[in-house]
Amino acid sequence: MFKFLKERLQRLFKKTEEELEKKEEKKESIIEKIFKPIITVKLDEKNFENFFSEFEIILIESNAAIEVIDFLKTQLKKDLVGKEIKRKEIREEIRETTKNAILGLFPEPFDIVKKIEEKKEKPYVIVFFGINGTGKTLSIAKLAYFLKSKGINCVLAASDTFRAASIEQLEKHAEKLNLKIIKHKYGSDPAAVAFDAIAHARAHGIHAVLIDTAGRMHTDKDLLKEMEKIVRVSKPDLKIFVGEAIAGNDVIQQAKTFNETVGIDGIILTKADVDEKGGACISISYITKKPILFLGTGQNYQDFERFEKDSFIKKIFI
Amino acid sequence: MLDRIGKNLRNALQKIATSIFFNTKEIDEACYEIKRALLEADIDLELVDSLIKKIKEEARKEKANREHLIKFIHKELVEILGGETHEFKLEKKVKPYKIMLLGLYGCGKTTTAAKLAFYYSKRGFKACLLGLDVHRPAAPEQLEQLAEKAKITCFVDKEEKNPLAIYEKFKEKIKKFDLCLIDTAGRDVLNKDLLEEIRLLKEVIKPEKTFLVVAADIGKAAKKQAQGFNEVGIDGIIITRMDGTAKGGGALVSCKETGSKVFFIGTGEKLHDIESFDPASFVSRLLGMGDLKTLLEKIESVSEKKQTERKFTLLDFYEQIKTMQKIGPLDKIAEMIPGMGSFAHSAIKKIPNIFEVQEEKLKRWRYAIDSMTKEERENPEIIDSSRISRISRGSHVSAAEIREMLKYYKLIKEIVQSREPRIDKSILQKIAKKFGKKIF
Repeated sequence: MFKFLKERLQRLFKKTEEELEKKEEKKESIIEKIFKPIITVKLDEKNFENFFSEFEIILIESNAAIEVIDFLKTQLKKDLVGKEIKRKEIREEIRETTKNAILGLFPEPFDIVKKIEEKKEKPYVIVFFGINGTGKTLSIAKLAYFLKSKGINCVLAASDTFRAASIEQLEKHAEKLNLKIIKHKYGSDPAAVAFDAIAHARAHGIHAVLIDTAGRMHTDKDLLKEMEKIVRVSKPDLKIFVGEAIAGNDVIQQAKTFNETVGIDGIILTKADVDEKGGACISISYITKKPILFLGTGQNYQDFERFEKDSFIKKIFI
Repeated sequence: MLDRIGKNLRNALQKIATSIFFNTKEIDEACYEIKRALLEADIDLELVDSLIKKIKEEARKEKANREHLIKFIHKELVEILGGETHEFKLEKKVKPYKIMLLGLYGCGKTTTAAKLAFYYSKRGFKACLLGLDVHRPAAPEQLEQLAEKAKITCFVDKEEKNPLAIYEKFKEKIKKFDLCLIDTAGRDVLNKDLLEEIRLLKEVIKPEKTFLVVAADIGKAAKKQAQGFNEVGIDGIIITRMDGTAKGGGALVSCKETGSKVFFIGTGEKLHDIESFDPASFVSRLLGMGDLKTLLEKIESVSEKKQTERKFTLLDFYEQIKTMQKIGPLDKIAEMIPGMGSFAHSAIKKIPNIFEVQEEKLKRWRYAIDSMTKEERENPEIIDSSRISRISRGSHVSAAEIREMLKYYKLIKEIVQSREPRIDKSILQKIAKKFGKKIF
């Protein structure tokens, strides 16, 4: 994962370093060379534009959205232009600044296990949203599996009462994971299913309720209203947006709408094994200002990684 | 999003438009803007670069003007998509005509298979579905339930884990059908095993056509995936989730990489939400520039013909609202029309919730309109409070609601009849038709 971004960044830092090293060596007299910056070099606007135009392309190719790139540009420009940098530390300096700028885009993540354990009154309700086909159901199964390994019991609510065989799909996962599932008929009210699941959890002392909802396009007003209703009825402790790591610029629009409609608390990005570029992680964090909790990295229950911003940054910068 | 891209491109083209003679700097600036707009639509960088190069060459030619350049970009993109409109024709001679669907996880293969079967069964083909997705839980059930809804025969095996064995099992049965749509498991081409499986399947089944299903919102990963799938051979592309805001640039890349055409687009969750593909309209959407075909026709005709002032009646208004409801918010429609300048934007801002006009309310408006005299319908200006109370009594619609309707009518009329954007109702409707109902 993220190999692509890493390789390209390394090349760019090297190039910028070489460019800056050559700088100011031509015209200066010997005396000037002695008294003036032998050890430091100043980054001017032109250097920065050279650096950024390439950095921009790398980001674009890594699937980061244009909006984020614009933001990074102003940020980096402020930090880098006019700065005196020790010759020896050029590469290090630029790398660190870029690294910090990107790191700053990621909000502080929280520990979901701790959150569940901290809640005094059971159950902890988690609801999942996203557009069609992003992998909500599998992500729920994966999270249930993960929570189980931490000793947290879950009940699943089949609130996707629309898509064909969605209930059977969740049922199969529940069977494999040996979990209780609450379901109604197709076409029934998703909020009612969620309500029943919560009641069940309360009655049986189950820690957490995971609510699977139907995929909905962020342009469908009626379905967005239905989503509001699910939230109103189930009063979830956590609203998770499930998005695709492979989505392009549109992921921003999707996350924005969902965030505006119900307000999301965390993000799961699926299909991260398909995309080795990692731009979507950056875009979605920037837009929603909400932490990415997990990355889906395959078809098995274990293929579920906790997203750590530091290790993400490390992966692309070291 | 759409808003921004449209604006960027408009600005870029404005720059070109305002200069009579191009100099390199202006072209470069404009090209930079165009480049960003294209990148924002998820079009592959390489593709954008080669396109920009061509645009620059074209711009340097004599006689290059704004319209010419719009046409040029449009033409280039349409060409990548396989040229002008092309319809996919089924041959009835081959029986069964097998179409295999491939694609990444969750891009809508199963739904598309059912939609296509439904599409062709409505057109007189005896179609069936064959489910070979043995990986995802409940995939056979999904196909089965969809088939039931579409009233189409479906062959699935819930126990068997080998897709080839499933095919062998139903091989004889599908021979009775004109058309067999084969649903396969979602796969990532970076996974060699799954790719090998599809190669094997293709060898044994020998489908007449293999379609790649691509979601409209896929980003830069599209290229690698398309390349990978193309190794096994792709004959056509189907784009799904076109009802979102995504521009489908990734799909364009898929076309380029596989050298094949887009035949269908998925525009919703229901069985009938599938349409044959029109490259020209798609590119217009991709560029966020509105229906250029209509626009270009307009540009050509505007010099000769003066716009005739047409009467905008309440009935026109009613139809208008109905169409609007189907296609989306008004400001989005305005976005589709490059000629619609700031004037129209400000007028539209005054009707913030036109999209929110609910079905129920619309119905009551209809009752009110039906209670009016012919004269009132054609000249709503004459409706005063005594007329309103009469209409209210006749239709059981409250006077306040009738007033509200008249207020909306005035605003819409202002837009429709305003000379500046030179857009009349028929053009709006044309656009609405062209883009289908759920494109926004």
